[in-house]
Amino acid sequence: MKVSVVLVAGLLLAPAAGAFAQGVDDAQIASIVVTANQVDIDAGKLASSMGSNAEVKKFGQQMVTDHTGVNKQATDLVTKLKVTPKDNPTSQALKKGGDENVASLKKLKGAAFDKAYIDHEVAYHQQVLDAVDKTLIPGASNAELKALLEKVRPAFVAHLEHAKQVQSSLK
Amino acid sequence: MRVLFLAAVVPGLLSCSSPGTPPPARRTPATHTVTIEAVAYAPQTLTVELGDSIVWVNKDPFPHSVTDARDGFDSSSLQPDQRWTLTPTKTGELTYVCTLHQTMKGTIVVR
Repeated sequence: MKVSVVLVAGLLLAPAAGAFAQGVDDAQIASIVVTANQVDIDAGKLASSMGSNAEVKKFGQQMVTDHTGVNKQATDLVTKLKVTPKDNPTSQALKKGGDENVASLKKLKGAAFDKAYIDHEVAYHQQVLDAVDKTLIPGASNAELKALLEKVRPAFVAHLEHAKQVQSSLK
Repeated sequence: MRVLFLAAVVPGLLSCSSPGTPPPARRTPATHTVTIEAVAYAPQTLTVELGDSIVWVNKDPFPHSVTDARDGFDSSSLQPDQRWTLTPTKTGELTYVCTLHQTMKGTIVVR
């Protein structure tokens, strides 16, 4: 089921700006959810190994754990619903933005890496939250998929608060 | 806190002064459940009687903790579907947090 969604400009970081746009159906939402989590897992793995600040490393590891858990739950649900995640411009832009972020982070070390990673996490979680609120939850037609999005939303809020706290501690 | 303590002691003294009166029936301790779901404790505030137990059940797909905000008890990391039980030994108010998700806070009032 297609829904009309207002274009949310600049939802993603620069490389993937405007990714959360267009109408989305449940199969596309499933793909967006899995990709959005995977992007943060990839960055978190890098931070847990390359971060120099203990809080940054710990935050990165928690992103890996939490988003892996959410992805498992999302995958279990779409399997149960017999929904096959469908690649779409939003999930493609997310993947591209995530890959570019990881590539950019790999060139940094020490405090510069920590700052770049955590700055990106703050912006990314805020933008994903906006997308969850403005695009994904309103767009989900299946009640269980909508409920899953509503249930994991607070995790993004908690991550955003945590990232901001780590960001402040680095200044 | 002192008032609560006295209230508990006085009935005991009264029963001692009346040897023929059977002691008041002891209440069976209850077990209460706090569900951890959607990055929140539900109920967020729970009132229990001294001797009762509280079981936290993690229904989220990632770990949480139940940690005394004043460095007392700590469940450590509770994995999805894992349970953790606490039986408070004192009356008062216990404020706890999740060390992994700082937006999560809960309170147990022990009477």
